[in-house]
Amino acid sequence: LSKIPETVDPMIRAHILSLCSALGGTSTVEDGGYSLGDDALACLKDLKKWLKLYDQKMNRFDVARCMAEANLVKGDLLEILSAWEEDEIEDRIKQRLALGCIELLVPLTWPFERYNEQTTVNHHRHIPVLQFAQAGYKKAILQHPSKRILSNVVRVALPSVAVPPNERTERDEGIIKLVLYFFRNLVMIEHPMITETDTGEEISRSATIEALEEQNVLHFLLVVSSGMGIEFNTQDVVAMEVIYHLVKSVDIEKMFLTDEQESQKQGQDLTTLLKLEDEMKRASIRGASTRHNRFGTTVWIERDDKTRSFVSGQGALLGKSTGLVKMDASKKWRKPGGADTKGVSRKTEHDMSLTIERCAKAKLREFVGEFLDAGFNPLFGHLRRAIDRDAQRLLESNQQQYFYLIAWFLKAERMRRKTLAAGSKDPATSDFESFGLVASVLNQESLITLNRRMTDWFDTRQWTPLQSAMRCFTQILLTVQDMAVSPLEDDQEIAENIQNRLFYEEVTLDLVVMILRAYTKQPFGWLDDCTEMVHVHLKMLERFSKQHEHMFVRSRKRARAQRKKNATVEDGAEGVPEEEEGEEIAELSKATMRERAFNYSRFEQKFLTQSCVDTFLAFIGNYKELNYSQMKRAIIFFHRVFVKREQEVLMFRIDIVELFNRILQGPDGLPNSHPARKEMDQFFKHYMRKLVKMLEKRPELYVELLFTKVNSTMHYLQFGYDKQAQVSK
Amino acid sequence: KDGAKDNLGLDEEVKIKRKRVNVKLDETRLLREDIGIPKLRREAPKRLRFKGKGHEYRDAAKLLSYYQLWADDLYKKARFRDTLQIIEKLGHSRRMKMERESWVMDNKKKAGSNTQ
Repeated sequence: LSKIPETVDPMIRAHILSLCSALGGTSTVEDGGYSLGDDALACLKDLKKWLKLYDQKMNRFDVARCMAEANLVKGDLLEILSAWEEDEIEDRIKQRLALGCIELLVPLTWPFERYNEQTTVNHHRHIPVLQFAQAGYKKAILQHPSKRILSNVVRVALPSVAVPPNERTERDEGIIKLVLYFFRNLVMIEHPMITETDTGEEISRSATIEALEEQNVLHFLLVVSSGMGIEFNTQDVVAMEVIYHLVKSVDIEKMFLTDEQESQKQGQDLTTLLKLEDEMKRASIRGASTRHNRFGTTVWIERDDKTRSFVSGQGALLGKSTGLVKMDASKKWRKPGGADTKGVSRKTEHDMSLTIERCAKAKLREFVGEFLDAGFNPLFGHLRRAIDRDAQRLLESNQQQYFYLIAWFLKAERMRRKTLAAGSKDPATSDFESFGLVASVLNQESLITLNRRMTDWFDTRQWTPLQSAMRCFTQILLTVQDMAVSPLEDDQEIAENIQNRLFYEEVTLDLVVMILRAYTKQPFGWLDDCTEMVHVHLKMLERFSKQHEHMFVRSRKRARAQRKKNATVEDGAEGVPEEEEGEEIAELSKATMRERAFNYSRFEQKFLTQSCVDTFLAFIGNYKELNYSQMKRAIIFFHRVFVKREQEVLMFRIDIVELFNRILQGPDGLPNSHPARKEMDQFFKHYMRKLVKMLEKRPELYVELLFTKVNSTMHYLQFGYDKQAQVSK
Repeated sequence: KDGAKDNLGLDEEVKIKRKRVNVKLDETRLLREDIGIPKLRREAPKRLRFKGKGHEYRDAAKLLSYYQLWADDLYKKARFRDTLQIIEKLGHSRRMKMERESWVMDNKKKAGSNTQ
């Protein structure tokens, strides 16, 4: 009939359609209910075989597409699933049918991988359609009028869960995993393209959480995660994935606000936003013309050598700086930036933030609390062992999710404590819980795992996984900090111990500095996490080293220096037999690790480099999006460099002057009401005073202002005399 | 007859159109006596007078506008921030480093002779 080329082989479509119609259909007799076909179970099995032997084996999506066209999920599978009434617990046939449905649903809802070398034309043809189909499946599952789909899916797994773990067959394990995979897929599906008419609200995170809670899936998840290692073993990764996709990028602080606080905050937020907008409007009016746009003013800026630059428009009359801004703005040439071939600057999942709706919020909060109480230690302890073993079932992305989740839950735990402490009026009588609930990620083994992963990812330049590890590290530090001030003595002792271990390896300390230096063009979220880690780490280390006069670190001694020393000693005794030499080298390599007293200021010295300053400059360059604590973080770092360590020359650069001036004085600078404005203002004034003095003292700085300083002249510029050559005896 | 010749254009001089040379900001331009760093060294200490404490913003504006006009003369087409970035990058080369060192040394000698 039509000349349009077929997307799918018509023979295959015919096969699938006939199977689908044989499965069952709307009954004409029983009030329009669904009635099963005679051989429904066999049909389900056939359909499963089609998916497996055609689609999966040949790497195509033809069958999945035909099933989407045939309305199989909504029309048949969900009807069959919902027909399993609550009182029919022992009905084997219904259970078999339900299992058959899930076996189809799991591959149909399976997430699509990003396009890679396995991708064919066929994938490009089908995936966009199938993504919309999956969104439709999710909507149908969540909104099914029976409100029983999800709980029935759980029911399929229950008989297998009830069997003691050592008596479970492979089939039982498989069923539990299958059900968990179904929930992972379901939670993972997002609307592929949100438009005004199709907002994707029905399948949003809030809707998902509500449906999962109402139908007891969250309880099931709690059971699985709290029994990890005892009742369950290999399901740890899937369980983690479900939780990951459930809580990822949820704003924790907003989650722990009560309704009253939230409505109050919303009101305040609106007021501040309106004020901000008002300020912006006024700022834009200030520079705007007071006459019509053809009024035609031309202004020239004359220099000392009588050359002139011309600027048009009335605004230029306002002052010299507006004229210069206009002169700059009229230039059309742009410095070409290198293409980001590796995709370093691409935003990732970690850079998103999500707020959930009120009803879902309470439910998620409850789930998070219960998970922390029961499921956190068993699940993450078990996963950590799996990571250490390099278990087969773990993918690279799972490790990233693992660290992301630890960071998320540690932060949630801290928030929960804070809200609890604020809720109880008398802090003395309220019983404090110990930090044992999150102990499994604070022990020595997990710190080693974290450290090893961080080093690996840093060495291989995998920035996104590194970001999750950095977040995890920051949250561990913050948790330890909270523990140290806990009223329980045990907690304080443990915190002391953890800090001792955290700050013992010099390699770890150096890693933090190296990461800070390695910033190139990673997205803002990365920069935020990186600077936060450095800030928290430095602050805690400083306090810790102050409290402990004799602090030791294990450092790698320089092998070369040692060898030289050895050579001078053995100068006289020549002709040492080669064997002995070999032994000596082996001994040397053992001795290269040794303890030495830790010197905080020497460590801080490592941060006094241009690349560290540049990273923080790049961070503060996003000043329009920064809140108070983020601005403060950057200012504290600059203060550390400029005032505390008096490395002023490091920051005397004209582009820094320009940036600070733009933040405080520019037309789109920090608004007057910004809480960090005062601190910034103070710092800049101090900075300018020093700069002016220095320029008058050493006029060569006029040139050096343009450049990154060279080591050979830095000391002279700072102090006015050369560094004394160290005389070594 | 002449018309035919003209049509062929054999007698006409062949003009070679040269591609317009794009001005580039490189070391030689940066080191030019009339617009480059030598000019900055000569003039900046004399032209710029700061007021010091209490006038930080005005001093900053003065400093920035001086550098902006200097950068505009040096490299017309680029905006101030871009020019600064290019110059900073050029400063990493061996030649520029040597030049910079010698400038600092010059001043050091001057300062030394003044105190003596």
